[in-house]
Amino acid sequence: MALLKVQSLKKHFPVKKAFGETAQWLKAVDGIDFSVDENKVFVLVGESGCGKSTVARLVLRLITPTSGRVLFDGKDIFGLDGDSLKAFRKSVQIVFQDPFASLNPRKTVFDTISEPLKIHRITEKKNMKDACAELLKKVGLGTDIMNRYPHEFSGGQRQRICIARALAVNPKIIVADEPLSALDVSIQAQIINLLQDLRKETKIAFLFISHDLKVVHYFSDTVAVMYLGKILEHAKTEDLFMEPLHPYTILLLSSAPKVKTEAFSVQRSAFSDKKLQTPNSERQPDIGEVPSPIHIPSGCPFHPRCPKRFEPCDKIIPELKEAKGRLISCHLWNPY
Amino acid sequence: MSLLEIRDLNVSFRTKASPTKVVSNLSLDIKESEVFGLVGESGCGKSLTALSIMGILPPNAYAEGLINFNGKDLLMLDRESLRRLRGREIAMIFQEPMTSLNPVLTIGYQISEVMTTHLGLSKKDAFDRAVDLLRDVKIPSPEIRVKEYPHQMSGGMRQRVMIAMAVACNPSLLIADEPTTALDVTIQSQILELLQKLREERKMSILLITHDLGIIAENAKKAAIMYAGRIVELAEAGELFNNPGHPYTMGLLDSLPKEKGKPLKPIPGTVPRPDKLPQGCKFSDRCRFVVPPCRTEEPELKEVDGRHPVRCIRAAEIKWPY
Repeated sequence: MALLKVQSLKKHFPVKKAFGETAQWLKAVDGIDFSVDENKVFVLVGESGCGKSTVARLVLRLITPTSGRVLFDGKDIFGLDGDSLKAFRKSVQIVFQDPFASLNPRKTVFDTISEPLKIHRITEKKNMKDACAELLKKVGLGTDIMNRYPHEFSGGQRQRICIARALAVNPKIIVADEPLSALDVSIQAQIINLLQDLRKETKIAFLFISHDLKVVHYFSDTVAVMYLGKILEHAKTEDLFMEPLHPYTILLLSSAPKVKTEAFSVQRSAFSDKKLQTPNSERQPDIGEVPSPIHIPSGCPFHPRCPKRFEPCDKIIPELKEAKGRLISCHLWNPY
Repeated sequence: MSLLEIRDLNVSFRTKASPTKVVSNLSLDIKESEVFGLVGESGCGKSLTALSIMGILPPNAYAEGLINFNGKDLLMLDRESLRRLRGREIAMIFQEPMTSLNPVLTIGYQISEVMTTHLGLSKKDAFDRAVDLLRDVKIPSPEIRVKEYPHQMSGGMRQRVMIAMAVACNPSLLIADEPTTALDVTIQSQILELLQKLREERKMSILLITHDLGIIAENAKKAAIMYAGRIVELAEAGELFNNPGHPYTMGLLDSLPKEKGKPLKPIPGTVPRPDKLPQGCKFSDRCRFVVPPCRTEEPELKEVDGRHPVRCIRAAEIKWPY
């Protein structure tokens, strides 16, 4: 059964306008559905401004949605209160992008890690030191660092402390919002290995938010590609990287610079794939930029940048429907 | 002929105790209209190398050695001649375009300022040229954009403006310090394509500084890998990735996620602080091939068996993939 289920979730932020003008809405998340199963890694991938971090904040109940539901263990999280809310907070934890900003500089490692244990009354006071030591060992840190402060650590070590803090309450799912993008390559690999080990040992599910396709490919079970608040393609990781179907997914994969030794290699020539040829489908030399989420293009949100757009793309919004064993929102694959 | 020749460059910070060396005996050559990549993790000294070429090191740092650019030793030039050189013959773009543009001046003003200063153009001519430059860097409707302010543009657009400003006086060397790190991948590939196009049209050399090996593999002709202020390997880009010679380069390549499910082989430990470098080879405390002599004497950067230069005493024995 799905651990976390998101149903037609929307979050629109009001944009302040000058007096007398009508209010505008920034559609950060515009009707998305997905579910995360136990012990699985679900990845939301997309460029900045596509709404992936807003989804993370909604799922954690840090903000309330405009409409739609988030079900955790079958219960709507926005209907929770009191003890049930506390239990939810215990089951869902987060690791942020910037380990320099997400640790309190005035708290020692021990204070930071023991705080969730105290709040949720998991460990008795006299066992607190041992519990902390256990957690630190789990994330590959020495137990002698308990009385030190965050500034004494490097980025990778701090991210380990953040992970230890998230693990303290034995969560069922960890939401990780770009946990690797602030780290150097060699440190990234260390943290990926750590997360991979934790998955094996603890059966934790991950909602992983990322823009780095290399990591996504390596680490995930299912991937959803987001663009301007919508999911454009939702597929098993192997399928998506073996044969990306949505033109935006192809653009993303072909834009990522790669060293030859890497596993996936969608070449830029993917754009000249015969099967996808439609009139005027030559790759535009300049694909332009992501439009503002306040003025989302009509029809398919990707159509102004799409090398394969044709007749209906600027008028009819494509639905996210099944095609070739995955969900895809594109008129090429789902004739309207 | 080399356009830029760096020999035994040392960059140090003055501290209360003894000076801390952050770039040590660095030598490299950049040829005309070539892309030279400088790769390394944060704190390895790659940006400080760039800053010393431009002569804009922070006040508590100083550079020694020889930086020969077109027959001039940049470290010996006085402030006035350096000022005339910067922006005209050597230009630089930075990682975060928002902080490098002035928020209260229009981009047209900022681009034309370079040309009124260095080329002696009139304000009007310079402004017209600015429009052309914006068109060259593929900014749509440049006539309108030229009157706008930086906050009205996206990150990718701002980086294009920075590039327009940098190439305004046809420099022969462009230093690009992590030019795409703050940008999304689709924008990143556009910016890199643009830089390549400008390089070909204008016969400009580019010193491309990045931590992303993929960017180097796709864009640079030659590249140097830096670790703890030293070049540890220097080779043609293809050679570097197919036939790496230094354990650190191999470690970086191993750290990239490859086959799904297989555990990665990260480099253990962290980059040492510049004032607490190990004795001998600076990578010895993290190296999987370390032998006792590594810890006593620092190896030189030299060619082994006719291969490209590698700073490792075991370069001849260690074969990739091991």
